[in-house]
Amino acid sequence: MFRPIASLTAAVLAFSGLAHASDKPDKVTVGYLNLVNAQLVTKHLGLIAKEMPGVEIKYVKVGGGGDMLRVIAGNDVDFGGIGNPPTAIAITRGLPIKGILVINMLDYVEAMVVRTSKNIKSLTDLKGKTVAAPFGSTTHYLLLQALNDEGVDPASMKIIDLPPSDIAAAWLRGDLDAAWFWEPNLDKAVNNDGHIFLTSGLMAKRGYPTWDVGVVMNAFAEKYPDYVEKFVKAECAGIDFWLKNPAKTAEIIAEELSLPIADATRMMNGTAMVPCDQQLTAPYLGTSAKKGQFVDTLVSTADFLVKQDRLPKLLPRKDFENFIDPSYIEKAIAK
Amino acid sequence: MSIGTGMAVVGRETSSDSGLKLRIPPLSRSFVLSSLSVVFLLAVWLLVTEMGWANELFLPKPQAVWAAFIKTMTKGYQGSTLLQHVGTSLYRILVSFGLACVIGVPLGILMGVSRDARALLNPAIEFYRPLPPLGLYTLLVMWLGIGETSKISLLFLAGLPGIVISTIQAVSTVDPILVRAAKSLGASRRALILEVYLPAAGPTILAGMRISLGFTYTVLVAAEIVAASAGIGWMIWDAAKFLLSDIVIMGLIVLGLTGVALDCLMRLIGRLLMPWTYRSQR
Repeated sequence: MFRPIASLTAAVLAFSGLAHASDKPDKVTVGYLNLVNAQLVTKHLGLIAKEMPGVEIKYVKVGGGGDMLRVIAGNDVDFGGIGNPPTAIAITRGLPIKGILVINMLDYVEAMVVRTSKNIKSLTDLKGKTVAAPFGSTTHYLLLQALNDEGVDPASMKIIDLPPSDIAAAWLRGDLDAAWFWEPNLDKAVNNDGHIFLTSGLMAKRGYPTWDVGVVMNAFAEKYPDYVEKFVKAECAGIDFWLKNPAKTAEIIAEELSLPIADATRMMNGTAMVPCDQQLTAPYLGTSAKKGQFVDTLVSTADFLVKQDRLPKLLPRKDFENFIDPSYIEKAIAK
Repeated sequence: MSIGTGMAVVGRETSSDSGLKLRIPPLSRSFVLSSLSVVFLLAVWLLVTEMGWANELFLPKPQAVWAAFIKTMTKGYQGSTLLQHVGTSLYRILVSFGLACVIGVPLGILMGVSRDARALLNPAIEFYRPLPPLGLYTLLVMWLGIGETSKISLLFLAGLPGIVISTIQAVSTVDPILVRAAKSLGASRRALILEVYLPAAGPTILAGMRISLGFTYTVLVAAEIVAASAGIGWMIWDAAKFLLSDIVIMGLIVLGLTGVALDCLMRLIGRLLMPWTYRSQR
């Protein structure tokens, strides 16, 4: 019962905001995923604050895609970041957001680790074993997709829902035989009787790319379009910094996530940043006139989730196209 | 219509066994009021959703929740039907609550009768009692793993203090005249506990057990967040991740109803085991 009240007050606030319309928000809240990507650089260097003088910038760390959906549904952030499965869910459930930026393309920063002593050579060997993944996330989607492709019934094993930090803890106790999750926790499993069996990068080559996309709340974008552009500009600067200064970036990541530099460097290599001008090409967002392959990925992800009974129905392609909005990058680059 | 007939039936039952002089017997009056409040809540829910005042993502229509109920009953949610989810959760709750009663009541009696036992055991119970269950849970998962043991332990720990504290309270407020009378008649310590303390303290212990059951329920979703793949709490949590609010609300209603049913069952047991208290209350 809180939610409708919250959205009602939000609506009232929005109306009162319109009454004395100002072109500057008092405060911008950015929800970011606990992941290794250039958003950490943007945050560390305070690039958003530089673009938006006089605006209070608040960062909120969110554990995974499922949690980010709840944060967005609760209208608690202005900007967020989600992987393609939660994005497909968000579009189908009609959450008021637009995808404005590629945050990262996932390679071996997300991987399926198997227990070496259990002698798992193929996905069929997982029968009767305990496998963990954060449900609703990119890796849960890839796990089911990989099992599906090899014709292995997910019901033949015990697939359990755990957040990444708990997967690491359960792994160390020996409760799990396999898990598909991501850095910075993945490493703890690899170093303790584990080895990488499949990576998200390999799945991308098989035709299942996974990525995280930066999103903006529609209400914010309508009210402060200039500030969405500023946000994109700051994030693009963070991506450029990542690509141009790998050593400095590793230091920043190491500090943000309290990791040794060597680990930070390895994790950085496992995830790909896409420079903003390239984001407008066909493999990514595409242009406003012709949307890119992100739409295809979203449609096939949604289709898969419908078959998994996690979504009620598959929306027409148009709805997924409308979600992708490259116009802010287009404007930010033109300047 | 149905409220009227319900009132008539209840009215007949209560008026036959008591000499109350009120026009409307209190039970039927509260029955009517309770029914009215349920109908009112349903009507508000219908009104809000039918008028389109609430976003359907947050508050789906009662019909949608009913449809989710039927679908989960027949087709199931992620591999288990609703009954299996409820069964899994009830098993967890009943085992842990049963353990809490079996351990909590004797512990409470011991602490109530002996000052030394109270001094020894109080620090541990008083310390962990106010800890938030999720904080405690991370430790339990590390110690006991992600299986049933950690889930049942968490529910057990949630239920235990209420039972212990109410039992201590109940035992220490037993009328000393009863104790002295029994002692003067030569009752042994064992007889004293079984024949005097337990019957006299029974009603308060039962009240504590009912409150404890409520605590156990509040922790259920937390206990099923970690590494579950069935259970009503897990179903609610999982559906929330996929923004299936019809399943979430349906799950909450089912969870609430099972709680009410268990509470009724406990009151019934109390009435059967301790008829004297219900007679004296009238």
